[in-house]
Amino acid sequence: MSDTYIPIGTMTRRLALAACLLLVAPGSGRSQTPDAPLTLISSAGRRLLPAVAFDGRRMIDLRELAAPFGLTIADAQQPGRLTVSRGEQVIVLTADEGLVSVAGRLVSLPSPPLERAGIWYVPLDFIGRALALVHDQSVELRRRSGLVVVGDIRVPQVVARYQRTGPQARLRLMITPATEHVIELEPDRLVITFESDALDLVLPDIAPDDLVTGLRSAGTRPALTVDLGAAFGAYTATNEPAIGGGGELVLDLRPTEATSTRVVPPAAPPPPEAGADADLPALSELAPPRTIRAIAIDPGHGGDDTGTRGPNGTLEKEVTLDVARRLRNAIESQLGLRIVLTRTADATVALDERAAIANNNRADLFISLHTNASLRESATGAEVFYLSLDEYDEEAHTASVFTGQPIPVVGGGSRVLDIVPWELAQLRHVDQSARWAEIVADELGLRLPMSPRGLQQAPFRVLVGANMPAVLVEMGFISNPDQEAQLTSTTFQAAIVNGLLRSIVRYRDDVAGGVPAPGQAAAVPAERSDAPQGQRP
Amino acid sequence: MKREYWIYGALAAAAVLGAWVLLVGLPRWYVPEPAPSAGTAATDGEFVEVTLFYISDDGMQLVGFERRLKRQAAPAEQARIILEAQLAEPPAPLLSPIPTGTQLRAVYLTERGDAFVDLTEEVTLGHSGGSLEELFTVYAIVNAVTTNLPAIQAVQILVNGREVDTLVGHVDLQRPLERNMLWVADHEDVAAPRPTSFGRETSS
Repeated sequence: MSDTYIPIGTMTRRLALAACLLLVAPGSGRSQTPDAPLTLISSAGRRLLPAVAFDGRRMIDLRELAAPFGLTIADAQQPGRLTVSRGEQVIVLTADEGLVSVAGRLVSLPSPPLERAGIWYVPLDFIGRALALVHDQSVELRRRSGLVVVGDIRVPQVVARYQRTGPQARLRLMITPATEHVIELEPDRLVITFESDALDLVLPDIAPDDLVTGLRSAGTRPALTVDLGAAFGAYTATNEPAIGGGGELVLDLRPTEATSTRVVPPAAPPPPEAGADADLPALSELAPPRTIRAIAIDPGHGGDDTGTRGPNGTLEKEVTLDVARRLRNAIESQLGLRIVLTRTADATVALDERAAIANNNRADLFISLHTNASLRESATGAEVFYLSLDEYDEEAHTASVFTGQPIPVVGGGSRVLDIVPWELAQLRHVDQSARWAEIVADELGLRLPMSPRGLQQAPFRVLVGANMPAVLVEMGFISNPDQEAQLTSTTFQAAIVNGLLRSIVRYRDDVAGGVPAPGQAAAVPAERSDAPQGQRP
Repeated sequence: MKREYWIYGALAAAAVLGAWVLLVGLPRWYVPEPAPSAGTAATDGEFVEVTLFYISDDGMQLVGFERRLKRQAAPAEQARIILEAQLAEPPAPLLSPIPTGTQLRAVYLTERGDAFVDLTEEVTLGHSGGSLEELFTVYAIVNAVTTNLPAIQAVQILVNGREVDTLVGHVDLQRPLERNMLWVADHEDVAAPRPTSFGRETSS
């Protein structure tokens, strides 16, 4: 008996010791790992600022900021407290305290400063929130590209998106603020040089293919280099103004005549999202629309309202938000339309509020995403709904009393307005909704299993108040285990996104009469062997 | 004299008889039959044949089943009997479109031909949440009332005595809904969505 007691007692003591160490640990032993350095850009040039990560939080050694920002770090007067000064201005830091006193003002940091072996670490936001207040020049932290921009220098942000569509490809550069640039075609690359001091470049990870093998920064020059693949033949550049004073440069890349006629297998394995790109609309269809400018996407349910639940626990509210986000990204990048999401997180939003969000943001189309459920496990397939009129006919007949109402206006007098009761907002659009729903069902039917009744009308509340063509899409039956797995898969979601994207393009062409959008495109044919030539689009 | 008595007697008897006929007999003879069916389709003495709605084998539609229920004099009472039968768990392999445990709190009929069906909260709490299932739940109730009581044109569903937007987020319950056989199998009302008013073919 005693043989068994002793080891257990020893083990208990060891466990207790380990527990004590663990309890002590949070104060002293957080894992510290080197992180990608920041680049500080000022009129004096560039400089790297090493960063470290504590438990995933990006921090910076305060001493690294002393020289570039002219800070004086006082010797510790009290344990756990540090005074940093710049001229007459003083910053007081307290270890493990998220509030910092900056020249007498309290500033909140996303995570508290840490003191480790006499060295003070501050979160990256310290630069933008605290240092910026005591510095005599502007100080801007750009987290996405890891830049710290000091002073009045021009560092436009350039966000690149690359989209392969069959034999062609499209590179979109969102430039904020709009900046003059020059495109030069060199034997193996396109170089886009911006008239600025530096670039805040946000590049996607792309899989090399036969048109573009890579996107990279051109070293210290404010330029983007596009490395071209063997099949590249010519490009077209189009400049368009973007929202908020930005600009957009669209480069359409085409293969040489010889390669464009044959099917070229991709040079590298497709990226994870390849399913999303498999059957995208042709580039000619991706031009900015004339009549459709904004689309409201409504991810069904959310928050307390989980919606349906699959046999393996998948929640409808999660699937709908996933697909909504993918659809938003696809529409923004490929159609350039404004997207309004009725919810962007796991939040409860009332049905009428969803329609109100779409109305207030002047969306031109409304699409509500859902997953279906049945008590019979065998039920499968997608369904597209638009509002049925029968339930609302009575109100529709009496609606004339609301037209031409004189409304008093500020300053006296009145204006005659047509007032549309909430319940009737959708009635005016039902014909258009029917048209679009038909196209949506058609396009989804090419890509997904549809239920025996792929297109239906029903009195769905979320559609009632939408003052624009509106459809509700049941993407599949989450109650069927196979469909549950499909609904969470990238390929299936991509098929849904493509079907919806395609339906928007078709509907837009339909209502716009198929008129091509105005473009300032200028084709720039190029031979691979040509000498370098510059083009200013 | 004696003859006069006879005449007076006969007149008095006729007056009494006339009064009886006017005040008692006629009302009694002309009382309508106790609402023979409250509008029910078929009657068989004490019973009526009604149609109730359950989920089809493939789960994609409702199917109608005939049931014999006790005939009730008052339409509201008949509606209650029909709804209670519709809410009850059906024998296998039939599957109810209404969540288990849902009880009828009350049913009200209006002179306009609307019925208000007040259900307990189990109708939402126990629901699978799918829109098709929600259409089945709503239209099983709406159709059970409107099909079997033709005097009732529309049904509004209440939950725990209150108006609700929807049961589980889809079907608009803010107004009385009319009979709709779109989701009922093999019914001649089943029709394709109404044709659109577009002349142009889809361009792609």
